[in-house]
Amino acid sequence: MTAVPISAAVVREDRFRFSDVARVVKLHFVNPSIYFGVPWLILGGAWALSVLITLIIRGASPAVTAEDMEGMRNSWAVISPQWYLVVVGVQAVAFTFNFALGLGSTRRDYWLGTSLVFLVVAAEMATGIALLVQLEQATGGWWLGAHMFDALWFGIDGFWVDWFSAFALQLFVLFVGAAATTIYLRWRMAGMLVSGAGLLLLVVGGIAIATFTETWPEIFAWLGEIGIVGVFTLVLGLAVVSAALGYVVIRRATPR
Amino acid sequence: MTTVARTRGLTKRYGSFTALDSVDVSFTEHRIYGLLGRNGAGKTTLMQLLTGQLFASEGEIEVFGRTPVEHSDVLRRLCFIAESQRYPEDFKPSHVFKIAPSFFEHWDAEFAERLIADFRLPLNRRIKKLSRGQLSAVGVIVGLASRAPVTFFDEPYLGLDAVARHLFYDRLLEDYAEHPRTIVLSTHLIDEVANLLEHVVLIDEGRIILDQDAEELRGSATTVAGPSAAVEQFVDGREVMARDRIGGLASATIDGRLTAPERAEAARLGLELAPVSLQQLVVHLTGGALAAEQQKEAAA
Repeated sequence: MTAVPISAAVVREDRFRFSDVARVVKLHFVNPSIYFGVPWLILGGAWALSVLITLIIRGASPAVTAEDMEGMRNSWAVISPQWYLVVVGVQAVAFTFNFALGLGSTRRDYWLGTSLVFLVVAAEMATGIALLVQLEQATGGWWLGAHMFDALWFGIDGFWVDWFSAFALQLFVLFVGAAATTIYLRWRMAGMLVSGAGLLLLVVGGIAIATFTETWPEIFAWLGEIGIVGVFTLVLGLAVVSAALGYVVIRRATPR
Repeated sequence: MTTVARTRGLTKRYGSFTALDSVDVSFTEHRIYGLLGRNGAGKTTLMQLLTGQLFASEGEIEVFGRTPVEHSDVLRRLCFIAESQRYPEDFKPSHVFKIAPSFFEHWDAEFAERLIADFRLPLNRRIKKLSRGQLSAVGVIVGLASRAPVTFFDEPYLGLDAVARHLFYDRLLEDYAEHPRTIVLSTHLIDEVANLLEHVVLIDEGRIILDQDAEELRGSATTVAGPSAAVEQFVDGREVMARDRIGGLASATIDGRLTAPERAEAARLGLELAPVSLQQLVVHLTGGALAAEQQKEAAA
């Protein structure tokens, strides 16, 4: 066989190729159960538990009315995968950053690809939850009057409001986890402590100001005024801020 | 020859510790480099800087004509699987080989398959559960099958048994002959790879102390052995890199090639001459305190 030298001259290509971002997406999805399996497993477990509790309540006192079952609207079961998804946001970055850089990804392409993954996951979760709210309402709470998906702020303003609020919440938890991890990657424990303390100070400070100025009623009134869509637009805004922060921080992060 | 990578005054500091100190080095295309040095000498740091994984404290790096940092058109042409490479949790070797082709445009899947069989790598065992040798094999296979124009191997043989190491050397040479590229091999098993190397870069405490063609290097030092008095007489006035003495016998390693009359002179004195292996040379050059101690003893 004749020798085929691999070209090594000075090269200039487009700095941005979508395939460079797409391969990061592929890297995340090599193990798809993390994103698409486990969250539904958690929701499935929570659903089984909710149905079981409903059966117990119904069995214990046959006199229970549909209005009585309204109490289940306060169940947090529908947002049970959120804690897991914060961890997914953390792990997505903590576990793949070193490897992606080892394979020759730029930090920018890595963050763009990771963000794209989060968008896909958030949209998928939002679609699933919003559809299940509809299904639960259509079946009268799985023919038992149970409230699992049709709970909290879901099932009040229709499909698209459910979808939007679930999407904003997913994106927020994923990006908060990921952005916190970029701080760890770049400044290690010291960075986590400083930024954690800073954030805590900000939150406690905000609460203190609101308490001392006695503006809580106004704040709640305002939140009520902007409604579900307004509140989750704020949540989406926080997700975008976290995404931007993560981008700025990771551009100078180094693998270990 | 075309230079593919070069550094000028490259310095990397971690707080008060200087990992690399004003390094000037260059790599040309289609050549196998040995990046030699002791543990902690700065080999991995240099490779991480050349692949844009670390940021330089000072100095310049040019790879394919520009800094590798955040330049995907440069990074696309490099492959660097670090000795301590971290893989995503729960990853199996099969996952690595599934994703690697999208990162290396010259990836040869068939070659990778062959290497997997050669190294008897279990594809479906979690990477966390692999032995050190199997973990090294993952890196070796990615490095070879990537056919990246510049491929870095960072201590690739860790934990590999003798058979696997020679398999690596053989496959590397075979593939290199068919697909010439720049290969940088960091290692401290110097004797094993000595015949593979075309160029040697020796780094110690963050500085380049040797940067030379391997052919020139071989035979650039000689060990003289024989009766102490004769050895002393012969090496008088020469630069002696190392001395050793057992009873009335002594040996001394001298820098530089010997001329024919010098060889005759050595023969007349009843001295034996032996070429110094690359490994011995590296030990002499980087032994530092150890070598100085031996010299002091010899002088006393």
